[in-house]
Amino acid sequence: MKYSMILVALLSFSGVNADEKVEQPHEIRNTTINIECPAGECSTPSNSMTQLEVPSRDTNTLDKNERMIISVIGQGVAPTDTLSPAQAYAMAKRAATADAYRLIAEKVKGVKVEGQDLIKNMMVQRSSIRTSVAAMIRNANLVETTFKEGLCEVEMEITLYHSDFMQ
Amino acid sequence: MRSGDGNYTLSLRLYAIIFFLCSLALNAGEYYISYRYITKNALLYNESLQISKSMQKCDGNPTQSIVFETVKENDDLKTIIDKNFDQFSNFVSKVGLEIKHYEKTTNYINNSTTILTLKTTCFKVDFNDSFVKIQALK
Repeated sequence: MKYSMILVALLSFSGVNADEKVEQPHEIRNTTINIECPAGECSTPSNSMTQLEVPSRDTNTLDKNERMIISVIGQGVAPTDTLSPAQAYAMAKRAATADAYRLIAEKVKGVKVEGQDLIKNMMVQRSSIRTSVAAMIRNANLVETTFKEGLCEVEMEITLYHSDFMQ
Repeated sequence: MRSGDGNYTLSLRLYAIIFFLCSLALNAGEYYISYRYITKNALLYNESLQISKSMQKCDGNPTQSIVFETVKENDDLKTIIDKNFDQFSNFVSKVGLEIKHYEKTTNYINNSTTILTLKTTCFKVDFNDSFVKIQALK
């Protein structure tokens, strides 16, 4: 009886002190987690662990009276069997322009992706990925064209307004 | 009260203005233009520019326009566009191009095809002494 009373007293004392303890050497000594919270918002450790920043859906929306400029750089290669350097430049520029259009379409409208893997006897026989983009682009501006060592780069930009998406 | 000489100069001015306006628009017409080019693996594969004179009046209002200088008076529209193709290409991108892009990666080897198309669009073309004005109709 005497020992049991001492045990109960010890347990209750340790229970009261458990809230005040900061260091728990056996549990979290080897792990380091740094979470930055605004002052006053992370009162308990459990809350601070769950309050990770998730970007809200409204971050990239285009509000009224606002505009968004999308700028891309398309690349095209000059063919080797051309009659003159000028022809090579012109053909590379066409290819680079098409690439720039594709990049704009990918950014504005998105890409359709379709993947297929053929696995036989636990080995990948064929892996194929198909992507496709289809869009209609108006008012694209060709900003700058550079041609160096057979590679043509075209900088293209498009300005999007809120009214462009209204139907 | 006007004098006889004053009226003479006035009528001369009017005739001059009418003559000037007529000479500005020597020949105007409407043309259907379509343009398409294909690139495969970042290389130009095929390009086609089709121009046809409209046989009936097009509907729509003029929107974007471009002016080309002409060296010879007898140049047709296709020749003028060929001579100023860079400017025309920029103009067409303002009017609107449809893009279709397909890409296939098989066993880490990539093949891509991009098709840019200007759908058949009616353009109003004004031929003048030293320049041509092209306007897209929508």
